[in-house]
Order: sequence, then C-alpha cells, then structure tokens
Amino acid sequence: MAANAPARAVGIEPGLRLTDAKATLPDLLSEEIDRAADLKALTALAAWMVRFSPLVALDGEDGLMMETTGCDHLFGGEAALVAGMSSRLVQAGHGHRIAMGGTPGAAHALARGAGPGEHPVLPSGREAEGLAHLPMATLRLSPEALTLLRRFGLTRIGQLYDIDRKALTRRFRSRQAGDAVCLRLDQALGRRAEPFAPLRPPPEHVECLPCPEPLTSSEGISDGLQQLTQRLCSALTVQGLGAQGFRFSAFRSDGAASAVTVNAARPVRTPSHILRLFREKVSRIDAGFGIDLLMLEASRTGPMASGSRPLSGDLAGTGFDAEAVSGLADRITARLGEGSVILTVRHARRPPDKAERPVAYAGQVPEAGAAPVLGPRPVRMLNRPEQVSVMAQVPDGPPLQFVWRRCLRRVVRADGPERIAPEWWTYLPPAPGERGRLPRTRDYYRIEDSDGRRYWVFREGLYGDDRGMDPEWFVQGLFA
Amino acid sequence: MDFATLKTKGLVRTAMAPPAVRAEFPFGLGEPGLHEIAESAYGDRAAATGFLLAAIGQGVCGAWVWVRQASVVPDMGEVPEAALPGLSSRLRLTVQARTAQAGLWAAEEAVVSGAANLVIAEVEQSDFTSSRRLTLASMRHGVPVVLVLPYSCEGATAAASRWRLASRPSAPNRHDPHAPGHPRWRAVIERCRALPSATGQAFDLEWNDETLSLSVVSGLAAGPAAPPAAADENRFRLRAG
Repeated sequence: MAANAPARAVGIEPGLRLTDAKATLPDLLSEEIDRAADLKALTALAAWMVRFSPLVALDGEDGLMMETTGCDHLFGGEAALVAGMSSRLVQAGHGHRIAMGGTPGAAHALARGAGPGEHPVLPSGREAEGLAHLPMATLRLSPEALTLLRRFGLTRIGQLYDIDRKALTRRFRSRQAGDAVCLRLDQALGRRAEPFAPLRPPPEHVECLPCPEPLTSSEGISDGLQQLTQRLCSALTVQGLGAQGFRFSAFRSDGAASAVTVNAARPVRTPSHILRLFREKVSRIDAGFGIDLLMLEASRTGPMASGSRPLSGDLAGTGFDAEAVSGLADRITARLGEGSVILTVRHARRPPDKAERPVAYAGQVPEAGAAPVLGPRPVRMLNRPEQVSVMAQVPDGPPLQFVWRRCLRRVVRADGPERIAPEWWTYLPPAPGERGRLPRTRDYYRIEDSDGRRYWVFREGLYGDDRGMDPEWFVQGLFA
Repeated sequence: MDFATLKTKGLVRTAMAPPAVRAEFPFGLGEPGLHEIAESAYGDRAAATGFLLAAIGQGVCGAWVWVRQASVVPDMGEVPEAALPGLSSRLRLTVQARTAQAGLWAAEEAVVSGAANLVIAEVEQSDFTSSRRLTLASMRHGVPVVLVLPYSCEGATAAASRWRLASRPSAPNRHDPHAPGHPRWRAVIERCRALPSATGQAFDLEWNDETLSLSVVSGLAAGPAAPPAAADENRFRLRAG
C-alpha cells in the first residue's frame, strides 16, 4: 500500500491495513495499484529522460537508472546536472528523489535513502563511507534476507563491512541467498561489475537543438529539423559515414516526448533526401504545451560508397542506377510503410511455390545469372495452391474436368506430367506413434479448358506410394 | 548505344522529339505514355499479363517497378521472376500498396524519380485525375507506364489507349495433338487517343515464346491439328497379308 503526503500527515503510513486506514479517516480515497499503467508511465518518462543521457534503464517498479558518464560537462558539472534534472521534473509535475553515485547499487541506495529535498552526489571511490549510514532495505535484497539480517540486528549497510563473509553466508537457508547478499554489497561498493541494459541502444550521432521558449508551431518544428539535419549531415560527411536510420524526437516541458523514425535502404547523408523522407511523418509530432528540445539521432552508420557515378551507361556495371533506385525505395517506404518495397529472390528449393521468396528491399543488387531452364512456367502463380476436385484417369492420367472456385471446367487439351519430387532432406519418416505429413511427389500438368484458359495443376502424391491418403489435385498457376 | 543505356541517369540526354504514334499494331504500346490493359471477363488476367510481357517486356532492361495492390495477390496470384524475360541486367522492384490511390501515387513517384525504365501498376480501379497525372509525368520523363485493370473498369480515361484482352484456345501443337500450343489472345482496342479511327479494332494474336514473336492469326484457326492420314494402315495390311 502506498500513501501520499496529505495521508501521511494524518497518520496513514504504507504498511497499514486498508480497514485501519479507513477507520482513521472515513473519507479516504483509495485505488488499486495498477502496475501495467505504472510501467507504461515509467517508460514514457524514461523516453523523456533521454534528453539528459541516452542510456536510461528501468530500475524496479518505480525508478529509473541513468548512466551519465560523459554527459555532465554539457550541463555544467554533476551537481548542476542533478539540480537541473530535479527542477525539470518538478516543472513536469513528477514527485521524485534523485541521487548520483559511482555504481548503480550506490545510486539506488542513495536515492531510496535520501531525505526530502536532498540530492546527494557521491564521488566514485567514496562509496563505503557514503553508504554506511543508509538502511539495509535500500540494498536490493529479498524480503527473507532482510528479515534474517534484521533478526541479527544488522540494519545499516555499514554494519556489513566488517562481518566475516563465510560466517554470514552460513546463516542463510541456502547458498544462493547468502551469495546474493554478498553480491549486492560488492556491487554497491564497486568491487563487482553490474551489467547495465538501457531501454534503447545509444545512437551513434546525435544533434540537439534547445528551444529558448516553448515551441508549438509546425513551421518551427520543420525549421528545427532542417537545422539539425544540416548539422548532422556535415558531422557524418566529416567522418565519411552515412546512416540508415534517423530518429527525430521532440521533448516537451510537461515530461512527455514524441518521436518519428525514418529508414533508408542504403547509408545516406544528403539533407534534402532525409528531409523528404521526414516530410510525410513530421506532422505526427505532437507539440502539446510547448517543445523544449529537439533532437536528431543517426543510427546504423556505415561507410558511404564514394559518390562518383559513371557518365556513360556502358561503363556502369549494372543497367540501372542503384542510388536512384534506393532513393525511390526510401520515399515509397516512408509513405506506404515498412515492407512495401519487395525484391523477389530465387531460392534453391524444388517445389515451384517455394522457389521464389519475397524479401524486403534493403539496397541489395540481385545476382545476375539465368535460372536453370526447367519446364514451362505460368505467367501468374498463386502463393498457395488451391485445391480442386478433379476427374482424371487413375493412376497417372491428366484431368478430364475439374471444379475450381465453384466453376466446372472441361479440359480440352493437356500436357505433362512434369514430375517434381520432394527434396530428400524433407523426407523424415515419422517416429512410431506419431502421424506426420510426408512430402509427396508432384506431377504437374499444363491443361486448357473449353473457354481457352490455361492452367497449371498438379497432383500431389502417387497412387500407392504409401505416404498418405489418395492423392489430391491443386491449381498452382495460370498460363497466359 | 540503345535507348536503355541512353536513359541511364547521369548521362547527358539528347533532345529528341517523341516518335509519332504509328498507325499499326501496337499503337504506341511501349512508348512513353500511359496505356491501360484490361481483362474482358473475370479470369482473363493471365491473358492480359501475358500480352503485356509479350508486347513490351522483351528488350526493356534496367529497373522495372511493378506496383500491385495487395488485394490482387490472393485473387490472381503474382508474376514470378521465372515468367519475366530473362535479361541479366534487369531488376524488378515490387511495390505492395493497400489502396489503389497509394498504388497510383507509387507509380507516379517511380516515373518521376527517373530510376525506372518501365512502370507497371496493377490496381483495382483508376480515375481520370490519376490517369492524367500519370500521362503527364510519363511524357515528361520518357518512361512508359502500363495500368493493368480488372474487367470492371469503365469510364473516361486520359490514357493513350485501352486494350481489352480475352483468352482464346491455343494454337495446334506440332508435336502432340493433345497438348496446348502457343497461347492465343483476342485484343480489342477500346480507346485510342492518337488514332480514333482504330477504336474497336480486334486482333487475334499468337505468342511464340521460342522466336519471341507476337503474330496475328486468322480468327478461324482453331482446334487441334488432324492426326496423320490412314496411309500407314495400308502398309500394315500389306505386310500382314
């Protein structure tokens, strides 16, 4: 149970039962704790805190852990950074406690144990003296371990420093519980490393544009985006890199942030191209009561292909302009969504419906080379073969008439069969007691009906091949 | 240098007047401009696609952009790479759009970008405004655009021509009288902007994929070839006797 300040003033503390609390104050308002909504709000706040440092992680159910090594000089020192964060959070209306320490464990303990209005900043190396007076509950231990330690009279972290490790771990019920206590202590004091998993991987290049007064107009946002793009592209050009992912975020003064991303098929660094991609999406940025800070991040950077383009088409290796094609693919993807631009690549599988696979276009050039010439292939191929009911001569005659999509079609001419056997590695006899579908040989027929339309049908399986029931017929495609 | 390499981006383009539409088949299909190919009844989409690939597809290398509406794929399938003419330097980019408007926008974008040498759009419907925009963009940038429409398309269009395709029984097969032969279609020009006198003309076409030629056949030729004559029977009788 949690209580807010006015409730605590009356005497209702967390730990009191609800009936007792209601007895103390009959007009008490209470709500069930909704952890899912809390998590959502915390994640949104974490997205907003990215303006201070790109490495933000969730810490428990109600905290955030940020790694600010190397960010403090932008704000004028660690104390100034912490004070600035605190004032911004107050402006945004979030009650909070902040502390800074040399290790995640130390920072966690200081923040939880700090008094109201204090923002302790502990320089690294001084964890032992800084943490000595803090209560044991701030050390991230399990409730059973805390109870056990309280029974021994160990209530402050400083009391653990001088105790013999072996004697302490032997008091716990299991080896793991004892080791966990030592681990947490060592992590807080910096003797053992602690992994840090940020919510989003840090971008490779970032440009920020603080706004002197809150920005609400869309022209202002577009102008800001233009300035940021110019700066980012010149930074990338200096290093000879291009980037494939761009993220434009706007941080509002009320503690919310909104962002849009664009992707490019190949590394780009042309401002006009990037602005063109953002043009469709920049209207999704919600200005709210005013934007404080605009940020543009570049991720997935890589070396750019050098910009020389041959003048004559004969000298170009391929018959098409790869840069123009990938620029077109970027613009279409930005407007129609991811996965709109597809390349069909050949796949070395024998069944014709698996021989070609759609792959999202990512700037690749398809390998040249003719496919091995097999039998005639239809001009339209169905993704999934559709079952038809067929009257045909058993065991291996072509169909004489068939019903497809509820129309009876009489076959006038037929050619075939082209036998396509399944690949040997897909044939696995089922284990005893199991029933699996075995791959079956297909006999493809090219048939023509009385209306003049031509189909590609196949019979899946042979009569008497012991791989299933009687063979079934399917339509795979349509010939021209 | 052929047209395809001349159109590669980066090369200085020579100023040429667009060639006049010839008064014979295929009436400008394959030249810069918008053309529409529609099926005449449900189920003729394969014939329309085959006609498209036969009339234009041969010899266009570089990048193709094939825009299709997502609802067309489960109904009529997609065109596999194996069916396209096998040119080594060809890249076919498929754009999948959810609505017809998005598909037509993508087609215009492909024309304007200069990256494509041929743009094909398979959408469920098209209107006069979009066809006008596509025609203007196509003439300005010199990229042929073809719209493949279903049988229900009617009404005014700004396209240079509109064809209706129907499937016809295939040619007699030389080697096997019971096998289908070369595909045959019936193509009717419904609208022709450059030559209004040609409107309503019907062509019976046959596509030979060995010689890669589209030829006009007589409408009367139908049915399989007759089996060989009875001369062999006499030979057998003489031997037995």
